[in-house]
Amino acid sequence: MNQATTDPVSRARRQERSPFARALNIGLVFGVVAVYITVVGILPMFNTRWIVVGVVSLGHAALITIGLGAGAAVTARMKASEFLPLALASLFAGAIAGGLLALLALSMQFLNLRAIFIALSPAVQKTLTFGLGAPTGPVVLILASALLAVLGAALARAPAGVRKPVLAGLILVIIFGVFQELIQIMMQFGPLIGGLRDAIYTWEGLSPLGALVIFACGCGGALLWTSVLRAPLQARFARSALVRRGYAGVARGLLFVLLLVLFPVVAGSYIGQVMLLVGLYILMGMGLNLEVGLAGLLDLGFVAFFAVGAYATALLTADSPHALASYTALPSLSYWVAMPIAVACSVIVGVLFGIPVLGVRGDYLAVATMGLGEIVRVVVQSDMAAPLLGGAQGILQITKPKIGSFELADPVELFYLTLAASALAAYCAWRLENSRLGRAWMAIRDDEDVAQALGINLVKVKLLAYGLGAAFAGLAGSIFAVMLTSIYPSSFQLLISINVLALIIVGGMGSLPGVLVGSVALVGLPELLREFGEFRFLFYGAALIVMMRIKPEGLWPSATRRRELRASVQGAAPDDPREVAAQAAGQ
Amino acid sequence: MSEGAANRTLLPKLSRMSRFTFVDVVLWGLRVGVVLIVVGGTVGTLIKGRYGAAQWFDFLLFGLTIGSVYALVALGYTMVYGVLRLINFAHGDIMMTGAFSGYFVASHFADTGLLDRNPALAMLGVLAVAVSTSTIIALLTERLAYRPFRHVRGLAPLICAIGVSFFLEQTFRGAFGSSIRAYPDPKWQRQALSIHGLSIPLVEILVVIAALVSMLILYVVVQRTRMGTAMRAVSEDADTAALMGIDVDRVVVFTFALGGAMAGVAGVCYAFVFKQVYFFMGFTPGIKAFGAAVLGGIGSVPGAMLGGLFLGIVESIGPALFLDGIGIPAPYQLRDLIAFTLLIMVLIFRPYGIMGERMAKKRA
Amino acid sequence: MKCDKRLLLSTCAAFTMATLAASGAVAETKGPVTDDLGVLMIPKGAPIQIGAYWVMSGADSALGVDEQRGVAIAIKDHGGVLLGHPIKLNTEDDQCNAEGGQTAATKLAANPNVAIVLGPACSSAATPGAPILWKAGITDIATATTAPKLTAPDRKPEYDGYMRTVYSDIDQGASDAKYVHDVLKAQKIVTVHDGSAYAQQLVTVMGENFKKLGGTVLSQEAVAPTDVDMHPVLTRIATEKPDVIYAPVFVAAGAQLLRQAKEITGLEKVPLIGSSGQMAPDLIEAARDAVVGYRITYPDVSPEAMGTNYPKFVDEYEKDYGEAPISGYHANAYDAADLAFKAIEKVAQTDANGATYIGRKALRDAVLTIKFEGVSGPIACDEHGQCAQFKPAVYEFTNGDPKTFKIGVNPKKVWP
Repeated sequence: MNQATTDPVSRARRQERSPFARALNIGLVFGVVAVYITVVGILPMFNTRWIVVGVVSLGHAALITIGLGAGAAVTARMKASEFLPLALASLFAGAIAGGLLALLALSMQFLNLRAIFIALSPAVQKTLTFGLGAPTGPVVLILASALLAVLGAALARAPAGVRKPVLAGLILVIIFGVFQELIQIMMQFGPLIGGLRDAIYTWEGLSPLGALVIFACGCGGALLWTSVLRAPLQARFARSALVRRGYAGVARGLLFVLLLVLFPVVAGSYIGQVMLLVGLYILMGMGLNLEVGLAGLLDLGFVAFFAVGAYATALLTADSPHALASYTALPSLSYWVAMPIAVACSVIVGVLFGIPVLGVRGDYLAVATMGLGEIVRVVVQSDMAAPLLGGAQGILQITKPKIGSFELADPVELFYLTLAASALAAYCAWRLENSRLGRAWMAIRDDEDVAQALGINLVKVKLLAYGLGAAFAGLAGSIFAVMLTSIYPSSFQLLISINVLALIIVGGMGSLPGVLVGSVALVGLPELLREFGEFRFLFYGAALIVMMRIKPEGLWPSATRRRELRASVQGAAPDDPREVAAQAAGQ
Repeated sequence: MSEGAANRTLLPKLSRMSRFTFVDVVLWGLRVGVVLIVVGGTVGTLIKGRYGAAQWFDFLLFGLTIGSVYALVALGYTMVYGVLRLINFAHGDIMMTGAFSGYFVASHFADTGLLDRNPALAMLGVLAVAVSTSTIIALLTERLAYRPFRHVRGLAPLICAIGVSFFLEQTFRGAFGSSIRAYPDPKWQRQALSIHGLSIPLVEILVVIAALVSMLILYVVVQRTRMGTAMRAVSEDADTAALMGIDVDRVVVFTFALGGAMAGVAGVCYAFVFKQVYFFMGFTPGIKAFGAAVLGGIGSVPGAMLGGLFLGIVESIGPALFLDGIGIPAPYQLRDLIAFTLLIMVLIFRPYGIMGERMAKKRA
Repeated sequence: MKCDKRLLLSTCAAFTMATLAASGAVAETKGPVTDDLGVLMIPKGAPIQIGAYWVMSGADSALGVDEQRGVAIAIKDHGGVLLGHPIKLNTEDDQCNAEGGQTAATKLAANPNVAIVLGPACSSAATPGAPILWKAGITDIATATTAPKLTAPDRKPEYDGYMRTVYSDIDQGASDAKYVHDVLKAQKIVTVHDGSAYAQQLVTVMGENFKKLGGTVLSQEAVAPTDVDMHPVLTRIATEKPDVIYAPVFVAAGAQLLRQAKEITGLEKVPLIGSSGQMAPDLIEAARDAVVGYRITYPDVSPEAMGTNYPKFVDEYEKDYGEAPISGYHANAYDAADLAFKAIEKVAQTDANGATYIGRKALRDAVLTIKFEGVSGPIACDEHGQCAQFKPAVYEFTNGDPKTFKIGVNPKKVWP
């Protein structure tokens, strides 16, 4: 996508190609994707999950999507105005894609591929050849895929009034089919919703009738929205008193908070737990955002502060032999006293952590901080520190926070604690961003030397970034400890640092709403995929690549950042070395 | 990234600012602490006399072996970084792909007996397959994942690289399973040379030699060939290099190919010493090699080599030498602690790594 | 602001109702069954849902995937049907850590149709997970969590619903110490763990017992599970001249120790003793010929001691998954599933419409009473949920070809 804009040479080359070469190319790409999901074992796993019980499995859906996609891609790439050449090209692309898959099916029949690729079981071969055996199966596969591609092209060429509702319906069916377990759990409240659930779901998933109903709902909803509702609603919204007084943002924010507060009560403790985790990552993300987003200090050891917060809370409040209360004169503290102490400990560690790497810059900083983070984990896990920190056995029986005699035990209740903490933290982060300190951070992010020349005290400002960033992580760690009531070193892996960094960049660096969006995208959504266990990280990795390619500035970048990026792209364009090189080569 | 900045160390400046003595106190405390532990530990260990000369020699040898593997992986990091300013987080996993594909060939040769009959030929075959696989995968990642970011500032490329790392690991897990595979262990590999009563396993000598030879070849390529000159030019200043008529695309592709090939060699070396291949095997050596590249000064070929060997040796000797003497239980559990402390100490004194400074100065 | 106050009130009301509902332990009656913790009704034709949580992603995923396969084979062996209802397995990923265990357990507990839960594999996931399930009235049969405190007599009531078909480290540690001291006649040993809660616990228990028997533990060494170069730590161990090295680590690190120990001067003849985490063809695959002569402690599952189902189980496993078992606890998982089925069959009642009713507390009590010969050994629970006893045995590997793996042959039983 990006390529088209940044790569003039290859764009020029692409335009010269004949339509069939292009169709071949697209067919090959989609065919490789199909072969890939088969070989890696995604297809066999998808095959066991019904979208519509007895009719379409998720595996079928994936293959159908690939077929349709090939046609749609051909349509997108070719600007031909008539349908016939387009249909022919799509037919060709689809046949190529199907052909690759058929080739795989054939070679599975004649070679013992399973000795190397463990996912290629006889069952998979049967799916691919429709159980028809060697000559017929592959032929049917190729034909089916070619026809699907034409269908895809037709759909892509159809007017938006048809395409959008159909797509909306299909997507809704897929969502209700794939996440049926989760949706069924959420639909069990009240006889009315429960009855509805019984109507559309059988025990294995969507019933064909239910799928039809959902598809109709999706289509109808989309139609209704685009043709009838959208314009008047927008008009009414624009006319409303609130908006006119400039409170639109506030109103939307309030509505959002209201939803946040009420949603877990309605959706139950699992959703509450997921939102709690997302909340913890938002807290950490806001902390790291101060370091990386504002001050430009790349930090891959952020998990260390999280661990300090968690362990400090555990040592102060736990009812276990490792707690400080059990072998010193210190009393066992309540959570509300322990939490500020834990945060303070994190701040101290954050500052100490910052001192050795003060003079280190850029990517060197990434390695140095990663090293510091790993040092904390190794020490916590080691036998050396085991008498104090419990070593591999962790610290157990951390007491839950109490308000009076009411114990915050349920994830939903702890979620409210996190929500309050996040709100406080977000307010602090927002104030910091617009403070003198925040501007100093941005100054050192943009150019350390100039910032220093302008009289900014680098040492103070950098250490404050580490310390304050650590405070947020410490707070998250503290809640994490009481959430689990038991902590182990295995919870504080490098992966957490990577995850937090990824979420603030996917969200949009330096932007507070970006942290929220990033956490939901990288922590919340993977939670929904928990049942896909083995392939979760595959999807996660692929999602990171795709998201960065589509939106390198993040999903919700801060306004300044957006400006900078635009400026840098525009600035880079005239002296793009490749363009220059291409011109030089042309002369 | 303004690496060329004049301010190479903050420390002298900090000590002049008498207001912030706290920082100095902490830094001096850290240095004194590390020195005390190192000296105290060393003296303690030597007084205890637990290890004889043979053991120290062994530690050194083991360190050299794993250090060679780190160095080979670090070379890939360093070259890509030099040309693209991109931390290719997936480089350890590219090594894994080489080792994995080599496994299938090696076990086939072991089954047919070629590995025993004609070790040189068989090893060449394994190496060829491993190197070509990891080169192809390195090129694919470049083409599909990194090229669109050529002109994007910020951390998006790094996150994309992390994504590539997960993607490669999980692809191999899905396709080949999560079980641990063992490279064949032919008899000739288990032979050992003995010199003055010290025995040196043949495999380890081979690995160290292979590493040295590859590094030599690489050094020659970078220093003596046209392409190498172009690479150096691009790493100095890509835009100017392009104006001079250098095809930056080709240089980048060549760099990735070279890095991938090195990763393939590293994968085979790793697999013949440590025998096990599985989908997650690239992660830890990747992180370590990343550290080694930074230790040596990222962007510098001799630096990566030095950093890798140094890291390997410290990991191997450090726990016994420094920690044993002060009575710390299970010192080898703390080998990462030692490795990373060393890294940070080096960065305090030389924020651009051991060999990195010359380059930084040149660029300023 | 008025709005906010109302919101606060409604939230408080919701809380109060939720707490009331949770605390009010009122017996529930559905169909023919009355139960203190609630009754699960499964309509005719609907599936019996078995929940499960294991580590399915990340570096330890082999452990969880292996156990999931064990359960899948148990379901298949049962014909996929229980009391006329199809069996449906809902697996969640717990990532082998506490937060993953808590999230997975919360998700399972939120599903009111889950009859019983199997797993997890990691004690750190079970510690927060089991109480959440039990609060929802769900019995949890763990498949590989060996931490002693989980079934200790003084465990808290919130763990009452937690059982396991795997033995406790206490039993294994004691018997391992006895074997090393009495049979191998070792006086001085070195123990090695990999920083996992499992191995660290086991070497500690074993070391304490070994000292009680009059032996000396020269040192307790540790490595990281991702370490590949074991030479230095082994060189260090060699200087202590132990009689035996006790290293109950997992497959990857275990195979490295095994192979590299033979290359260290002074350790060529010192026996290495491993433990049940390594009872899998994968160990042979990873160590190849170095495995010959290696001994591991494992429950006695020889044909003399019990049924001969295990070889059949391994055959089925390979046929279904294209590879040999990839970790050490698939048999315990198989037995956990079997135990769950037997308990459900025992307490479930069917009414005239063909609906099945399962009392939740009755189910938990039934699990405690069932006794049978499992694939991993005899299964019989004590009142604290410990369902497998460590009937000690030692096995020695005899061949470096993974295809020859067959408990009782390779490795063959050498003690008792």
